[in-house]
Amino acid sequence: MSEIFSRRTFLSATSASLLGSLAGCTRGGESNSTNQSQSDSANQTQLDVGAYQSADIDWQQFDGTQINVGAVQHPWVDAIQPVVPVFEELTGIDVVWNVLPENQFRTRRQTDVSTGAGQFDVFFMDQVVNQYNNEGWLQTLDQYFDDSSLYDESWYQPNDLFEASRWQAQGGDYADAWTGLPITVEVQTQFYRTDLYDEHGLEVAETFEQFRENARMIHENESDIVGTVGRGQQGYGMNIYVLNTFLRESGASLWTEFPEDSGLDTQSTINAAEWYVSLLQEFGPGGASTQSWSDVLTTMQEGRAGHIVSDANLFWPGLTGEDSSVSDNIGIAKVPRPADGEFAPNAYNWQLSTSKNASNSEQGFLFMLWATSEPTNTWMHLNNNAAFSVRQSVWENDEFRSRVGEEFAQVSLESLQAARPDPFDRKYPEWGQQYSKELQRAIAGQKSAEQAMTDAATFAEDSY
Amino acid sequence: MSTPTQTQTDTTGEEGLDRVRTLWNQYLPYWFMAPMVVVMVAITFFPGAYDLYLSLIEEPTVNVFAAEFAGLSNFEAAFARGGAIHSFIITITVVVSALALETALGFVLAALVAGVGTGRAKSFYRVLFILPMAVAPVSLATIGRIMLNSEVGIIPYLIEAWTPFAAPAFLSEMPLLTVILLDTWNWTPFMFIIFYAGLSSVPDTLIEAARVDGAPLWRRYLHVIIPYMKPVVFVAALIRMIDLFRTFGVVYGLTQGGPGTATQLVSINIYEQMFINNQVGVAAAIAIVYLVMVVALANIIIAKVGFNGVWD
Repeated sequence: MSEIFSRRTFLSATSASLLGSLAGCTRGGESNSTNQSQSDSANQTQLDVGAYQSADIDWQQFDGTQINVGAVQHPWVDAIQPVVPVFEELTGIDVVWNVLPENQFRTRRQTDVSTGAGQFDVFFMDQVVNQYNNEGWLQTLDQYFDDSSLYDESWYQPNDLFEASRWQAQGGDYADAWTGLPITVEVQTQFYRTDLYDEHGLEVAETFEQFRENARMIHENESDIVGTVGRGQQGYGMNIYVLNTFLRESGASLWTEFPEDSGLDTQSTINAAEWYVSLLQEFGPGGASTQSWSDVLTTMQEGRAGHIVSDANLFWPGLTGEDSSVSDNIGIAKVPRPADGEFAPNAYNWQLSTSKNASNSEQGFLFMLWATSEPTNTWMHLNNNAAFSVRQSVWENDEFRSRVGEEFAQVSLESLQAARPDPFDRKYPEWGQQYSKELQRAIAGQKSAEQAMTDAATFAEDSY
Repeated sequence: MSTPTQTQTDTTGEEGLDRVRTLWNQYLPYWFMAPMVVVMVAITFFPGAYDLYLSLIEEPTVNVFAAEFAGLSNFEAAFARGGAIHSFIITITVVVSALALETALGFVLAALVAGVGTGRAKSFYRVLFILPMAVAPVSLATIGRIMLNSEVGIIPYLIEAWTPFAAPAFLSEMPLLTVILLDTWNWTPFMFIIFYAGLSSVPDTLIEAARVDGAPLWRRYLHVIIPYMKPVVFVAALIRMIDLFRTFGVVYGLTQGGPGTATQLVSINIYEQMFINNQVGVAAAIAIVYLVMVVALANIIIAKVGFNGVWD
């Protein structure tokens, strides 16, 4: 009997843990073993519930309920999970996590919202935000901001969120309401090899011309080191994520007139594309058209490139950490711009949203508010290796700046303040993908940059 | 002692049982086949029918009857804007080239190993040649990307170190050829195993007779061994051809279908339409056309080359 019992117990326990791990489903601050050390540190530096009780918000109005959070495997999840018990204590709301790899999550999310299943009360949202909103799948948050029992503006300080993050969360000109609340932001910056700069007497480039000259100098004078690397791979989060910085700095914009004129075949856009394409072709690695962000990072880490012309500031820990063979010789600077252009780096936010069919949207809103508030953000960034805060106050925090390094913090802060993110109209995934393919063709030398941009414009405009 | 009512009930019960028994015996083969038919409908017919349904509606809905009928607009979009024709051409190029290479190389390797003298050496080569097939597609793509990387890859490095030639940028200058060669490396072992088993089954008496008649090695292969192995070659090529039409993981992981659409197989196109463009109907339309094409092609080949001619 006892043998049967223990076998059953073992099988039940094994099945439960297996299913739990397969679904990536955990509760509250619980997580897998990799986060144990973070939980330990959370115990050492506990977040105070009192920081939230000063808000004029009825935190306890949904005591005893539960929310399901759909998330991708992202450092934000690792950073916030240790303090989720504080939210649960504050509100009495039980938080259940559904953490999945990015592609699996996207499929699950689409199924959840498009079929009206509404299993996720809160979920990660990205470039498809306006597509989902247009389909009527998202629930905008304005009604909750208007509810005095749910929101206290003087406590939440929405203006502390970077303008770029607020703008994208408010639909980026394609919605007139809050489509979610931003949780992470990354901004484009330039990375360079300080040792090579010293060796060749170079100065950090502010303009396209200066950057090109620096890249040329390194490319022609160093064996086995290319002048620069940059994303060439197709995908709306790949090569065009970089080009869109140069495009806007050159005076162009996406959808100069929506939906008639995509802006992709204007002279300014073509100039930006020609500059980026020729830069990679002349001073980039062989096969630049297939370089994804990870190839770019690896090439720089291996010491095989003089610069990363423009990429996420989040590369900094990877370039200066122990995985990098040039960790002591990396500098960070603002992305270059045309001599007569305006500094306008691209930025990207992940946000949390809720769907129309979610049964606990109000509880979800409280969770979003708590997760994006200043106390939570500050704690996450002082007690983890996180550097993706959407709040300006965190980037100005002396303790945080001391942890991440003054140079990185200041360049990131100034870039975030000037950032102009991509506007994601409802068909962005479709035409953005085609636009990125056309750019990849140009980088691969299959067609001219001008032809590629003209073809991309035709596709984008025909998609409406 | 029974009452008249009880007797009547017993009689009716027996008649009913007889009817069931007759029905059972009369349709016995169908009853035996029924479980298989149910399984086939569930795993083959239903997904196919649902795919067809998706290709004919605007957007999927929870209530399948509430969806808006779209006619053939998804099919029109697939071919007008979805790049379906281009991806069909790329797929056929990959299938034909890789199949020819894998068949030829698999046969040559099988013949070479069959000719090896000692048993231990044979075992060694068998294991060696089968190894590539054990590599998972995503691993192969990841390893391939690193090994072929122009800056940090071992293959370009070796080419430049050991030959007088400059290494090409494999994934951007010759992406389609790279994809075909990588698939050939991965799947030639499959053909090798089958051909090796086939060669082992060729009667020694036939080969010996040809040798006694003075036929050189190449004639023995051309006129005795290969004709004898026709059924094996046909079945192996057919299975591999159908499998090649389903190729996705390696190519997507390696090139994502690029540069541009240079390696965009139909499977990648369907994936992009579904999971990147969120065009469920267009993805379903391409999948339907593709399914019909592959099934038709396989059946035409079977009919033309014929199991009759091979097996009789």
